[in-house]
Amino acid sequence: MWLVFKKEVIELLRDRKTLFFMIALPLLFFPIIFGGVFYFSGKAIQEAQEKTLNFAVIGGEFAPNLTDQLSARDDLTLVKNTLKGDDEAAIKDFVKTEKVDFVLVVPATFSNDVLTSGQQTIMLYLNDAGLNMVQRRVNEVVKEIEHTNQQSAFITLGVSEAIQKGLLNPIVIEKVSTADKREDLGEKIGGFIPYLVFILCLQGAMLPATDIGAGEKERGTLETLLITPIPRQDLVIGKFFTIAFAGVTSAMVTIGSMFVWGVLLAQGMAIKLITEFMGAISPIDFVLMFLMLVPVVAIFASLLLSLSIYARSFKEAQGYMTPLVFLTIIPIIIALLPGIELKGVYAWIPLTNVALAMKELIKGTMDYMALIPIFVSTSVIAGLLIAFCVYWFKREKVLFR
Amino acid sequence: MIEISHLAKKFKVENPKKLSEQERKDPRLHGKFFHSVQDVNFMCDHGQVLGLLGPNGAGKTTTLRMLSTALAPDGGSIKINGVDVLANPLIARQKIGFLSGSTGLYGRLTGRENIAYFGRLHGMDEAAIANKIDELTELLDLSTFLERRSENFSTGMKQRISIARAVVHDPEVVILDEPTTGLDIMATQTVIDFIKGLKDKQVPVIFSTHHLDEVEQLCDTVTVIDEGRTKYNGDIRSFAGLSGKTLHDSFMVSIG
Repeated sequence: MWLVFKKEVIELLRDRKTLFFMIALPLLFFPIIFGGVFYFSGKAIQEAQEKTLNFAVIGGEFAPNLTDQLSARDDLTLVKNTLKGDDEAAIKDFVKTEKVDFVLVVPATFSNDVLTSGQQTIMLYLNDAGLNMVQRRVNEVVKEIEHTNQQSAFITLGVSEAIQKGLLNPIVIEKVSTADKREDLGEKIGGFIPYLVFILCLQGAMLPATDIGAGEKERGTLETLLITPIPRQDLVIGKFFTIAFAGVTSAMVTIGSMFVWGVLLAQGMAIKLITEFMGAISPIDFVLMFLMLVPVVAIFASLLLSLSIYARSFKEAQGYMTPLVFLTIIPIIIALLPGIELKGVYAWIPLTNVALAMKELIKGTMDYMALIPIFVSTSVIAGLLIAFCVYWFKREKVLFR
Repeated sequence: MIEISHLAKKFKVENPKKLSEQERKDPRLHGKFFHSVQDVNFMCDHGQVLGLLGPNGAGKTTTLRMLSTALAPDGGSIKINGVDVLANPLIARQKIGFLSGSTGLYGRLTGRENIAYFGRLHGMDEAAIANKIDELTELLDLSTFLERRSENFSTGMKQRISIARAVVHDPEVVILDEPTTGLDIMATQTVIDFIKGLKDKQVPVIFSTHHLDEVEQLCDTVTVIDEGRTKYNGDIRSFAGLSGKTLHDSFMVSIG
């Protein structure tokens, strides 16, 4: 069995295509993709924040303080216009043709005296489809005017400061979270980690699985292997371990690469955050996560090998494996859905339960005793699939299709 | 010595509707089963080369696959130097060297690694493998490409490494399934010389082919199979005498 494993690993490590998908891609490509996305989105946000916006006001004479305060900002420039408040088409066209970034229409009834005018509406015309800072900047000015007007009204009414607060916010809910940083961050990203690890394991195992099953048939080496004095279960288990090794290596290289690149790229506060987060996860939790991954990898490896052995050619094997990827993703996505917890029926769905358990381990909220049935049930499924794989490999109908 | 008696093998036809008209008319088709080999008998003694002949689809490859233990027979018996292949397949495999024209090599392993891998699978130790590779390198003239990866080998190079791989463990019997199919003249000559070498060493060789000139050159006995049954068994001279003309004519007479 180890002879087969050793030979398969040597071949695997000499295959440029496999090495590319297993090591080079996770090490370079993913960081480039993710880094690129973060870089360009960050740059776009920064540009939007730094951009000076042009605006026009119709009926500005009814709210002179609003126009003045907006004009006073460095990031806003007032553009003169001859627009009429009731000509909505012309206003929209003014924004659409990018003569300005936004237009405010102040009604003739506008007044700073809240007690006489009540609630008032100012129309804001903007192109809200893209990334923009219009609403934020307008709100900052409007909030200031709102506050001043409210204060004037309260003074007129002779309302004390305490009552003012009560009128503005009758009920305040003060949140005291019992979740520590680890649980908080774990809840946010904890579901994504098993998803990523599972998919990468499967992806990393697919190419070697195709090569050492269907590939052997296609090259004409399988028959010579079958007539060596090695029991067939040893041959298939050797191949199974190779696929599992490739899957785990691929996942570990990717996660390691993303962690290292993440730390390098994030800098400053992010390093502290990641270091704190990682430091909060105990070595035992890491070991348990890895242990939970073992039967999952075994499930993937045995399924992939069974399909590969059945296929007549490399191409046919890839055709069988594509639906398997979709079938595998479904239970993992269930674990990502909001509100899904490691309780009830979800604790018994294969793969979903492992993904949820890994999330709980990352959060630090795992009931360790609950891991036992999950580990045992997943291991039983893995064991059954390995047994099926061995049985499958012994069938002449499968080997000599 | 190789002894085969009343060998039989059937395959389940997964989708009878997909069979061609000719396949439906084949007398070996019984319901959902295709009796590929129905009754094959022959014997090959030490130092003999047995030519296994038959038209395409006659059951030659299935017979050789059963002999090599790749397939399990449904009936009959196979004995290799007294060892029952069915009862002791792992022991029988130690005694068999198998080569076919379609046998491939592991492209990302060197010629030496390909041979050594099969030596290890046969339980040989590293020193014995190294000695055997040295011996085969001289015999088959492998030195110029032995350390190169086999993915870029020519057909002749591949076949020479395949021969070395098949006999690295000093098999007691050698089975060759159309080993010269698709080979050029030089590569074919390598195979023929290899078979002659085995014969000199008193190793029984079973050799399936469509090339009757090779049969004439190499074989002591001939077995003709058609529709899964032995149609002729005998020495090469008697076989030639069937028609009194060419081996081709004798072959046609043997299959009726």
